[in-house]
Amino acid sequence: MSEILLSLGQVLSFMLLIAAAIASVELYLWAHFKYHDKNSIFYACALLFTMFAAFILKAAGFLTANAFLLFLLFEIFLIFASKKLLKGKKYLPYLLSAPAFLGLAALLMYPFIFQIYLSFHDLKLTTIMQWKETGSIPFAGFKQYLAVFTVPPLAEAGFFKLLWRTLGWTFINVFFHVLGGLTLALMLSEITRLKGVYRTLLVIPWAMPQVVAVLAMRGEFHSQYGFVNVMIKKALDIFPWLASLGVAPVNWLSDYPLLTCIIINIWLGIPFMTVIILGGLQSISKSYYDAAEIDGAGYFQKLFYITMPLIKPVLMPAVTLGTVWTFNNINVIYLVTGQAGGTEQADILVSALYKAAFTYNRYSYSAAFAMVIFLILFAISISYSKIFSERKEGKI
Amino acid sequence: MKVNRKLIKQILLHSGLIIAAIICVYPLSRIFTVSIRPGDRIVSTDLALIPDGATFISYLKLLKETYFLRWLFNSLVITVSTSFIGVSLASTAAYAFSRFEFFGKRSAMIMLLATQMIPAGMLILPLFLMIMKLNLMNTYLGMIIAYSVSSLPFSIWILKGYYDTIPKSLEEAAMVDGTGHIGAFWRVILPLSTPALSIAFLFNFTAAWNEYLVARVVLFSSKQYTWTLGLFELQGQFITQWGMFAAGSMLVTIPVLAVFLYSSKWLVSGLTLGSVKG
Repeated sequence: MSEILLSLGQVLSFMLLIAAAIASVELYLWAHFKYHDKNSIFYACALLFTMFAAFILKAAGFLTANAFLLFLLFEIFLIFASKKLLKGKKYLPYLLSAPAFLGLAALLMYPFIFQIYLSFHDLKLTTIMQWKETGSIPFAGFKQYLAVFTVPPLAEAGFFKLLWRTLGWTFINVFFHVLGGLTLALMLSEITRLKGVYRTLLVIPWAMPQVVAVLAMRGEFHSQYGFVNVMIKKALDIFPWLASLGVAPVNWLSDYPLLTCIIINIWLGIPFMTVIILGGLQSISKSYYDAAEIDGAGYFQKLFYITMPLIKPVLMPAVTLGTVWTFNNINVIYLVTGQAGGTEQADILVSALYKAAFTYNRYSYSAAFAMVIFLILFAISISYSKIFSERKEGKI
Repeated sequence: MKVNRKLIKQILLHSGLIIAAIICVYPLSRIFTVSIRPGDRIVSTDLALIPDGATFISYLKLLKETYFLRWLFNSLVITVSTSFIGVSLASTAAYAFSRFEFFGKRSAMIMLLATQMIPAGMLILPLFLMIMKLNLMNTYLGMIIAYSVSSLPFSIWILKGYYDTIPKSLEEAAMVDGTGHIGAFWRVILPLSTPALSIAFLFNFTAAWNEYLVARVVLFSSKQYTWTLGLFELQGQFITQWGMFAAGSMLVTIPVLAVFLYSSKWLVSGLTLGSVKG
């Protein structure tokens, strides 16, 4: 197989060389004599493609480049096959959608099925070498599923504790995302000037790469040099009586890791909601408010009887999506607590899953754990969609 | 009296928004501050935006003493290949869904939605084991394989929504002029859907560019790291390398921020583009 790939790569690189040569001649002609025919777009594409392929070849090594070229060849073959060989339209949609679905089957469905397979077997650090060489793992039946509920995935917190923590984490985060997003969006829609400037500044937490944003915020919670504690100390210097109320600098990362993660995640999630809700607000016609004002409605009446029902179609998908995202948020918690020796008090189900798999190397156990989490999430989504559809029917 | 009340309301709203904006921007400005602090005062409780004796020494140190450029390069290779694969797969599949009626179309569309139900974090373990079995640990190819289809359903959805808005008569005109379906797709549909293609590309790109969790388990030698891993490692050693972490963060964030702010209009409309069609 690898020899075939190797020779294929050589043939292709030769072809690329020719394409590059033609393209540069073409470019030369165009640059000096303004000569071009209608194929010049093709040559330009070829040149771009050549540069791209050379980049991949140079950067990623032979194997990657070959896999890449093989994939391209497959696509080209598909196009030609459908054009020349199969004149009938019948096969065309299958040919067009086949690559995408092959990819999904190999890299999404197969891992999912493999995960189910794993969860009924016993793959751990001691059996992994055997599996790598022979491909066989001892069968375990439902042992792993039983272990999920009886053996804690991490050093301390058990399954049910993690479950409650996850539900609390999800609820608090989504609640504050919607509240913050709604407040900011309403404020933004009321002001008359500088709207664009505020909007730009407010989306920055969302726009920043998440890794940078979370790590930067993590630094701000450092017990000695972080902004939060520095401000608390300054406040204590100015108002000494605050100390008697129990205000004092605390070790955020080691004593209140969950609270820290929640604050960081709320900070991260509000901009998305703001943008979505603002979009919904802008689509509401002003005539509703005018009519309500004639009828003598106050601010809150307008908010609850006009604004809220009308942004619901925008808000509900965003809330559903936000719930699933928050439930599955490994990133924030792992980035804050994932360093060697980091705390486990902030872990929710998914981050515990990640740590169980890759810090503790309990592969089959985490596969079963993942299936359990998947079923929980599945149940939540089903009930969500049921609630929505019932409400819709009730309205109609 | 009424004018006064309106003015006060505006002032209150503006001050509220200014506070919110400061909270949103502050961590970024802090990173900037830390990145230009002189070497002996990297960690301090000082809150000034421009510290005394500001220098770019952290940037120099970052470029000299770590593999930062190499990390960026790794990320770029992985991300560009991933997005290229993702978008080209999605563009043809979306065309099939948009323009043809065929057996299994409905179930395939439902399957696409169903894949969104599988949380990505859950598939890291089997993907990791597959990559290990294929001997692709610590390679670009392993990362590209792991990333390439993660945004595919979403891209197909967006592109289908966009193709649906292109009138069929354009293609028919092209086909009357003597080209086939593929020709019409290549010469008419693809050039017309550049905005949707760029949204899909951008979406794939940011998803892979900011990814951390898969990279953490697949890549293990620091020369192969993506920038996310590299920065995480620098940040881990808080006291000693805080300045370098800040400098690296600035260098990564500014282009991303620029692209995001430039394209945010399309991005948001692109997000709704797919959902409206559902």
